[in-house]
Amino acid sequence: MNTITIKQLFSRYKIMALLIAIAIIWAFFSWKTEGGFISPRNLSNLLRQMSITGILACGMVLVIIAGEIDLSVGSLLGLLGGIAAVMNVTYQWPLPLNLVLVLAFGLLLGLFNGYLTAYMRIPSFIVGLGGMLAFRGVLLGVTGGMTIAPVSPDLVYLGQGYLPPQFGVALVVVLFVLALGLTWQRRRSRAQHSLPVPALWRDGLKVLLIGVVLLAFVRTLNSYDGIPVPVLLLLALLGLFSYMTTQTVFGRRIYSVGSNMEATRLSGVNVQAVKLWVFGIMGVMCALAGLVNTARLAAGSPSAGNMGELDAIAACFIGGTSMRGGSGTIYGALIGALVMASLDNGMSMLDVGSYWQMIVKGGILMLAVWVDVSTRSGR
Amino acid sequence: MAEYLLEMKGIVKQFDGVRALDGIDLKIKAGECVGLCGENGAGKSTLMKILSGVYPHGTWDGEIQWDGKPLQAASVRDTEAAGIVIIHQELMLVPQLSVAENIFMGHELTLRGGRMNYPAMYRRAEELMRELHMPDINVALPVMQYGGGHQQLVEIAKALNKQARLLILDEPSSSLTSSEIAVLLEIIKSLKAKGVACVYISHKLDEVAAVCDTISVIRDGKHIATTPMQALTVDQIITQMVGREITTMYPARDHEIGEVVFEARHVTCLDVDNPKRKRVDDVSFSVRRGEILGIAGLVGAGRTELVSAVFGAYPGRHEVEVLMQGRVVDTSSPLKSIRLGLCMVPEDRKQHGIVPDLNVGHNITLTVLQNFSQHSRIDGDRELNTIEQQIGLLRLKTASPFLPITGLSGGNQQKAVLAKMLLAQPKVLILDEPTRGVDVGAKAEIYKLIAELARQGVAIIMVSSELAEVLGVSDRVLVIGEGKLRGDFVNQNLTQEIILAAAINQSEQYLAAAAAL
Repeated sequence: MNTITIKQLFSRYKIMALLIAIAIIWAFFSWKTEGGFISPRNLSNLLRQMSITGILACGMVLVIIAGEIDLSVGSLLGLLGGIAAVMNVTYQWPLPLNLVLVLAFGLLLGLFNGYLTAYMRIPSFIVGLGGMLAFRGVLLGVTGGMTIAPVSPDLVYLGQGYLPPQFGVALVVVLFVLALGLTWQRRRSRAQHSLPVPALWRDGLKVLLIGVVLLAFVRTLNSYDGIPVPVLLLLALLGLFSYMTTQTVFGRRIYSVGSNMEATRLSGVNVQAVKLWVFGIMGVMCALAGLVNTARLAAGSPSAGNMGELDAIAACFIGGTSMRGGSGTIYGALIGALVMASLDNGMSMLDVGSYWQMIVKGGILMLAVWVDVSTRSGR
Repeated sequence: MAEYLLEMKGIVKQFDGVRALDGIDLKIKAGECVGLCGENGAGKSTLMKILSGVYPHGTWDGEIQWDGKPLQAASVRDTEAAGIVIIHQELMLVPQLSVAENIFMGHELTLRGGRMNYPAMYRRAEELMRELHMPDINVALPVMQYGGGHQQLVEIAKALNKQARLLILDEPSSSLTSSEIAVLLEIIKSLKAKGVACVYISHKLDEVAAVCDTISVIRDGKHIATTPMQALTVDQIITQMVGREITTMYPARDHEIGEVVFEARHVTCLDVDNPKRKRVDDVSFSVRRGEILGIAGLVGAGRTELVSAVFGAYPGRHEVEVLMQGRVVDTSSPLKSIRLGLCMVPEDRKQHGIVPDLNVGHNITLTVLQNFSQHSRIDGDRELNTIEQQIGLLRLKTASPFLPITGLSGGNQQKAVLAKMLLAQPKVLILDEPTRGVDVGAKAEIYKLIAELARQGVAIIMVSSELAEVLGVSDRVLVIGEGKLRGDFVNQNLTQEIILAAAINQSEQYLAAAAAL
């Protein structure tokens, strides 16, 4: 009986379990590094490291929810980052033009992947595998196998810049008011439909907790240099994608296509178009991640984004996305990305050999999915 | 030797504190066939899972005596060793493997070094097929070459090969045609004569009445009555099952029939795997406003293919010309059809009906989600209003619209799928086997709903394998046989015999079935 209740708790509060896992990982590394791990400087670093995997995971989680997979994102990230570097360094085109072109390329290549998968019916695994090789090949051709450097300071700002502290404070205020408003709206709507409304103190506590976490987050980052630009980008994507998956028609359709494509098609939904655009979004995310990556390194490298797809996919699965499609959340995937980044960062600080880092990350992925699967079958 | 082969006493099974079974008794003698009846969700499957060892001893209370000795099975292996074999509703065959390989799955006869002993397995498999009056089956061919009825017999052969002394058949006839059912019932009778006991679970009470000696009825996890079949009528069984009398299963047909609103001309479908074979061969038909058109025929006759092609959901190559209100329309995809007011509730609820990861409410609004969207944002309040309205309208039993749809009973899932299609405001509604796997109470409600829709002027096309249902609900009946239109009858003085005769008119299945009998 006892194990059953633990299992139920686990599956109901999966996200809590993940947060506890992060707390344990952080506590362990802080202890080993004598507090170095949780210094504002390192946390700021950690979040910047996580942002690239996080951006990819935002798109990947949609792809996986839709019942597909995209293995080409690491190479596509590298290719688009490389193109950005070439346009910036070799041709010295202005930044806005560069951004627009790279994002458009990303969209087009993503749609191309989607077209092959949805309309030509090539399994996405194969499309991804092909893209993984082909995109990397194009990148090697474009860069001639050499690092393209140095990129201009305005592009570097995208990856290495910080926002002024006042901006962070303003952000906290806006987000707190938003949380308050949404909770209020939700309570009113549930009351209207005579659905059970959670006790006022519980919702109050929840909002308060959100406020405290936000404040701690911004204070920590402000006490170093401020919120890094890529982290802000990631936060914006978290908000945008969460809104899209929970509040829009397109979002609902991604879930229903992944859960039962035939039933969805027979309900009069253009399932091929849904998949096409999911891959399109994935392509745009590759473009963003590629830009941030090039900016962070201040150079376009032919090996950029190597194995990036695996980190992104692992982040989704650690974050509780279902392997069969049909369920998963954006915040889960981002917490998964945070777990991966924390492991990378912590082990680097401890000077753990890179081979051990790979072994640990692989083990954690399997452990997380095992916990997920074993709590699921408990029902 | 004990008087009873099997005695289950005071079986109690709880799921998360909810009593699914509440003190069930079941006794079976050797050579006896017990019909286990009850509405969906009454606990039949749970009881059989306990009996067959799916739920191991210790996860439930009560005791099982097998052949006079207590049975404490830890797994299905133990019960199979004892001679209790269950045949599930969904066939558990590997389509790509041969008949013989399927029969011996898990118990393969081997030569030295783990090689398969094919000659011995083929010999034994042929022996079993002769025993089942199916000597024509080539046991070396893949199972997928045979139809649903033959596959069901392969399952039975598999059970017999395990030296079954008690055979549990869970809805064995749900995908069989009338003639195949007749063969199945004959085989059960001959097994009984050999001393094999059976538990027969079916919603089709005429079958239960034909083959069972004793009827045990359970309702809401409780044992209601065990009565010899001779002392019972089908109506009495229904009364015991639902706990109330269903006075009229089928509603009165008092709707007005108007002008022709839908016409399909020269529908031809080619088989997906074998494009030389025509699954539907030049069928034309029309439906009037407010008319209920029943489509009858044997399973595999091409009825589902016909309606899928009309709706734009047939996967293989096909030709079809559809007219609605006299105008030629494009119904080449479900999306286009639904926009025109042509909707379909598909046959296979699990595969094509429900979306398992969406909750009940979100399943219902799948067809019309865009109607709730303002600047691409879903208006949750309006959506919930519609959902609650539909749930009330169809008397869908769910504690909350936010519950997972997979937790609902078959009947309520079907109502959700119906609700989804009704929201699209169909002018023509295709219902493919609308009451398959639905319990008696929900069936009557679905029939009432169909009649109500017809009264509102919806033209209804209902495919069904249950002839009683076709006769009870339809105004007109089309009979399809081997992909061709075999008959178009106005439902007046129409009998099951007339329909059946038209459907099996010189068909090979009929000859095979007749030979077997």
